[in-house]
Order: sequence, then structure tokens, then C-alpha cells
Amino acid sequence: MENAAPLETDVAIETPEHIVFRYRVAGPARRALAYLLDLVICYSALLVVGVILALAVGAGGALGASSESLMKAGQGALLVGLFFVQWVYFVVVETVWGRSPGKAALDVRVVTTEGRPIGFSQAALRNLLRAADALPVGYLLGVLFMAGSRRFQRIGDLVAGTLVVVANEHTRAEPIQLWPPARPDELAALPERVGLDPEERAALELFLRRRGRLGAAREAELARMVAPAFARRFDYHHPDPARMLAILYDRAANAGREEAPPSSRHAHGPQGAGAKPWR
Amino acid sequence: MALASAPTERAFAERRERDWSTLDAIVRVALLRGPRRLRPEDVRLLPALYRDVCGDLSRAQAARYSAPLIDFLQALTAQSHTVLYGAHAARQTERARLGAPSWTTAFPVAVRRHWRAMLLATVLFFVPFFLGLFAALAEPQFAFRVVPEAMLRPLTESYQRGFADGRGSGDDTLMAGFYVNNNVGIALRCFALGIFGGLGSAFYLVQNGLFTGAVVGYVGSQGAGLNIFTFIVGHSTFELGAIVIAGGAGLALGWSVVAPGERTRVASLQHVARDVVVIVCGAAVMLFIAALIEGFWSSSSVPIPIKLAVGSVNFVLVLAYLVLAGRGARETLERAP
Repeated sequence: MENAAPLETDVAIETPEHIVFRYRVAGPARRALAYLLDLVICYSALLVVGVILALAVGAGGALGASSESLMKAGQGALLVGLFFVQWVYFVVVETVWGRSPGKAALDVRVVTTEGRPIGFSQAALRNLLRAADALPVGYLLGVLFMAGSRRFQRIGDLVAGTLVVVANEHTRAEPIQLWPPARPDELAALPERVGLDPEERAALELFLRRRGRLGAAREAELARMVAPAFARRFDYHHPDPARMLAILYDRAANAGREEAPPSSRHAHGPQGAGAKPWR
Repeated sequence: MALASAPTERAFAERRERDWSTLDAIVRVALLRGPRRLRPEDVRLLPALYRDVCGDLSRAQAARYSAPLIDFLQALTAQSHTVLYGAHAARQTERARLGAPSWTTAFPVAVRRHWRAMLLATVLFFVPFFLGLFAALAEPQFAFRVVPEAMLRPLTESYQRGFADGRGSGDDTLMAGFYVNNNVGIALRCFALGIFGGLGSAFYLVQNGLFTGAVVGYVGSQGAGLNIFTFIVGHSTFELGAIVIAGGAGLALGWSVVAPGERTRVASLQHVARDVVVIVCGAAVMLFIAALIEGFWSSSSVPIPIKLAVGSVNFVLVLAYLVLAGRGARETLERAP
């Protein structure tokens, strides 16, 4: 049942190395903002050119040239500029950088449906077909097509075979560490294997990462909501519910691994319960 | 049991940290300043580091490390992939695969491959053109139904005056700019709206044909026929030819959606789009040439016989280019697969 599938905003792309990685597809709001920013950039540039031309016409008039003729030449140059803004700007910047300055500011980029950077022909097609997407007014048709497509592709994207994706940021978070280390009395009743399914692990992880920023009262409140369920399931009780979740997570994540901290080693292993606290 | 052999996330991250940050630094430089700015030693390191990180990502996923670490590795892989399989490399391999003709002949070859659409576009433009022309010649009032009177009258007066005095260079530049913005814009829109089953292109072709025909017919009916003919003869091959070709490209695009054949509609669209983008770029170049001729040559005070001769030579050259250029290349292209 395709209707029952959760709403996906990711696309999976497989590399020649058989690695699958995911891109998050950029939605209409983000893309509209990027587009507005590009418009502002273009028309400001055109305005600057216009002012410079006007000054040049003024200066030329002072030197005795026919100012009417100069004015018309300036208007002609501005019309060429207008053409560049409407039809050429996006093609050029997306060919060279794979994204326009507006897109760069909003952290999105254009890639092919195979996840590669786009070339000239893709940039030309997707931007020439803006004329079709912009119909009847304000990119209405483009937005409708995006709504109908699984990957938020407007008409130009469909024809060129491109996607607009959120550029992957790579900041790295430290792995979660149990601190202070588990005391022997805390570990005594802890089961050797704590089986958590991926969703439970992800939820606990999110909670533990936000621990420092939540405020003590809120932290305890959140922990008390789930702790009893885990306590019953693993028959493990601890006076501090947040601490209990941290210990459970630590064991689930590290039990049985090489170089595991003592808190998650086999209880009767070489550096068992009596060993020095692990740092 | 797979879990047992895996190190803890912390140990894993600590061990691989250095390679990750080296790759990260290389990738950042390549993405911000282009792959050409990379130092030679970085270029040598890049593929090996990329493969290692691919492996790290699989290991991290198999060992079910925490989401932030996997997200980080995915992002690093994705960005390295972007650098390694970049647009430049893709373009090279695509060219090698398709055996694409050189850029001087790609345009006429692509136009000829869609000759049916081009023929239809010619009919859609020139039938209304001659209808408008003869209707306006026979009954000048007809032109006002197609073209606003306020636009036709001053236009006619300027043609009646003739071009014996030429035009100021300022006017020339203004008009060249106007032709670039207006005509190239019309041609590109005429192409783009072909996506709707070709209807948009057909509409623009008919409308522009009728409009142009009515203008020429009306000006002719007011006794300035020779003047307007000598004006348009120089650039009309480029201008009208380019509009017909852009419209034909739009029709081909639209037809690929209506009758996709054995492909899916999107696949058929993307297949035709590869040719069509070449055609449209060629048409845009033709229109730039037309705008320059129209702005600086057609309105000049050059004697009429010379203008007529240049106009005919242009027509023959353009037609010969479109019909003949790259014939040999086309045959090899068809035999290849």
C-alpha cells in the first residue's frame, strides 16, 4: 500500500561503490525563498548598472556628446541586462557552481537524479522551463507539479532530470558517554543484554543529547514518563529516572563491543565490577 | 554476533577521526573553490580516503552507531562523491559515450533529427504569416484587429521615411537591446511552453506568424513595401528561422509527452530534451546574430541592391548550414548503436 507509507522527503542514491546515502529534498518554501533572494540580487545588480550608465550619460552629455543618443544606448544596454537576468543568470551560475547564490544562502544545491552535480544542459533545461513553471502566475504550476512529484520536482526538474536537495552539513557530534561512570552497585542488577529496538535507541539518544540543555525539572519530568516502562521490561530500578535511562542506553549501545567501558563489559570479565572506574 | 567484533562508537570515531577531518578539509576546498585548486598531494589522497569513508559508513550502519555519527559519515560520503564524480567528469564520459558531434555541427544535426517537428512549425508559422500578409494587403483595416493601431501608425511612418539618413548610433543600440530582450525572450518562451503537448509552441507560432504578416502587409499597403522588405531581408532568415526552430523544438518536446512510445513519459521527455537543449541554444545564437544585424545593418543607409544581395546570401548560407552541416557525422552516429 503506497498510501500507507510515511511521507518521505529523502531520496536514496547508490554510488558505484555500492554505498547508499540519502539526500533530503528541499521543499517549496525553502526554494521560494532562495528564488526571491536571487531576484533581489539580480535586480539590485541591474539597478547598480543602471545608475552607473545614468552617470556615464550625464558625464558624456557634459563633454558635448548628444545626451539623447547616449540615453538610448544606455536603455539598450539595460534591456540586454534584463534579458540576462531573466534567461541567462540561472543557467550560468548553476552550470558553474551547481547552485545560484540564493540557493547557496539557503543551503540547497541542484543535483541530477543520480546524485551527481549538474552540467550545462541540465542547467539550461531546468531554467528555460521556468517559463512553463511560472504559469499562470507566481510559479503556481511549478508548485502543483512539486506537490504531485515524490521528489519535489517542478516541470523543469522533471525534464532535466534534476533534484534540489538540502546540502548535507557535516558537523559531528561526540558519541554519548555515561558520566559519571556507572558505580558497581548500579551495575549489579543491570541485565547483561539490554535489547532496544532502533526507534527506542534513537529516542533515548535524542533525550540524552539534550540533557544538559533541558533544565533539571523538565529533564526529570520527561524521564519519569518513560522510565517505568523500561524498569518493568528489564526489571531494573534506579532512584534517578534520567540516570537510569543513561545507564540502559550505555549498555545497549556498548555491550559486547571491543574496547567497551567497564560499565558495559561482561560483569565477570577480566576488568569486572571491581575494577577502577572507567574514564 | 556482528556486534561483538565491532568497537564502541567512541573508539571507532577516535581511530578514524584523522582521516575524516583530512577528507573533510579537501572536500571543502574542492566545493568552495573548485577541484582545480586542490594541491596535487590532496588529489592523490582523495580516492583512497573516499573509499575508506564509504567503508566506515557501511561499518557504522552495520554496527548501529548513533544517528549523528551516521549522518556525519553520510554527508561526508555524499560531498566526496560530488567532488569525485563531478560535473566535469560526467561531461567527459557522456561525450565519449555518445560520440557527440562537435559543437559546430551538433545544432544542425539535432534540427534534422526532428525534421517533422520543424516542418510542422514552419507550416504553423508561415500559413498565418501569408494569411495576415495578404489579408492586410487586400484590406488594411484587417491589420488593426491583430496589431494595435497605436503601434502600427508610427511604425508605418518610420518605414515611409525610409533609411536614407540611417539612424543614430544611440537608436541602433537601443533597438539591438530591444530585439535581444524581446525576440530571444519570445523564442525561448515559444520553446518552453511546448511542454504542454506542444500547444504553447503552436499558439506562439501562429500568433507571431499572423502578427508579423499583418505588420508587413499593412506597411506594404501604405506604400512602403520596398522599404520594409529591404529592412527585413537582412535579418529575417535568422530571426524567423530561429523562431520556427525554437517552436519546432517545443513541438518535439510536447510530442514526446503525448506519444512516449516504449518509454515512460518522463523518460521520453528526458530523452528528447537532450537534443532539444542543443536546438534551443542554436536558435538563441541565431537570434543574437539577428538582433545585431537588425540593430546595426538593416536600418543603415546602405544601398538597396547591396542589402538585397546580403539578405539572399544569408538565406542560402543558413539553409545550407542547417541542411548540410555534419551530414557525415550524422551517419556515423546512426550506425554506431
